[in-house]
Amino acid sequence: MAYSDKVVDHFNNPRNMGSFKKDEDGVGTGMVGAPECGDVMKLQIKVQNDTIVDAKFKTFGCGSAIASSSLATEWLKGKTIEEAQQIKNTDIVQELNLPPVKIHCSVLAEDAIKAALADYQKKSDGDASGTK
Amino acid sequence: MARSMCWHCQSAVTGEYFCERCVKVQPVSKEADYFTCLGFPRRLTLDPKKLEAKFYEMSRTFHPDFYQTKSPAEQAISLGNAAVLNTAYRTLRDPNQRAEYLLGLEAGSVKDIRTSPPADLFEEILELQDTLEEYRSSERDSQDSRELRVTLEAEQRALEQRKQEMEAQLQQLFTEWDQLQDRGEATSQTRVERDRLLKQMRDLLSNRTYITSIVNDLAATIA
Repeated sequence: MAYSDKVVDHFNNPRNMGSFKKDEDGVGTGMVGAPECGDVMKLQIKVQNDTIVDAKFKTFGCGSAIASSSLATEWLKGKTIEEAQQIKNTDIVQELNLPPVKIHCSVLAEDAIKAALADYQKKSDGDASGTK
Repeated sequence: MARSMCWHCQSAVTGEYFCERCVKVQPVSKEADYFTCLGFPRRLTLDPKKLEAKFYEMSRTFHPDFYQTKSPAEQAISLGNAAVLNTAYRTLRDPNQRAEYLLGLEAGSVKDIRTSPPADLFEEILELQDTLEEYRSSERDSQDSRELRVTLEAEQRALEQRKQEMEAQLQQLFTEWDQLQDRGEATSQTRVERDRLLKQMRDLLSNRTYITSIVNDLAATIA
């Protein structure tokens, strides 16, 4: 099965590849993996005033997993925390035209978004109840 | 392979693969798991020779080549049975696939025994992938490249070693699981033990996949 043009495009020109420092203010980090195929994905968001101002990812896996996370970071930028929670793996499947055997890649990207948001919230809650 | 009724003559089926009355081949039950299908108990340690022998025996029974002169219904059943048989054998033949399959059966779906992702392992893998990337983009035969290569080779050996240890641990867990099954008790204590084993096997199998993946990347890059 051939990859769709969009997957190939994201694979060849990944958007927002890289990383932030984990302990930087307003940064949330999500690290997830797919035990079935051994793919590992790191997705980070940078939040200011409840809005995601930047997002980065690093994915080691197949083309679909890379494309899913690359697309996810594009979508995340400019969204509020609440809007980001609404991103569903099915949106990614649709946008990238993923075949059934690659749906788990989009699930991985959704899990990574959720994990990054949870990490950000945990960090900011900790700050609020802490010394600040 | 107990079935209630022959699809052809409607009598109760008593034979294993064929109706004893009208001698028609019977479809493998859709509900039967691969262990049942091949006539093995749900254990993680199977004798590969016995498994193979049983597979050949059943292949001879169901192979579509032997049904060319039969009715279309019988041909369809033989084809369906042969397909199930092949998948069952392929799954049970490999110890790790067998364990994955059994975990799925025992926990409904693998996701039910979801474990927390191994954050340390992920960190380690990401870091190693960065080093790999550095090596790939370094100038060939430069000092940097040579040093990175030495580092990566050492990492590769360490990971191979870890993989072997994991295999040994898995083997140990498989044995414990089978012993627990053989005792066949259903106390609250055995339930706790059962869940512990399932979770540990799940963890190890997952981590093993991550490590295999990075080891393959390493091997492909510094080969």
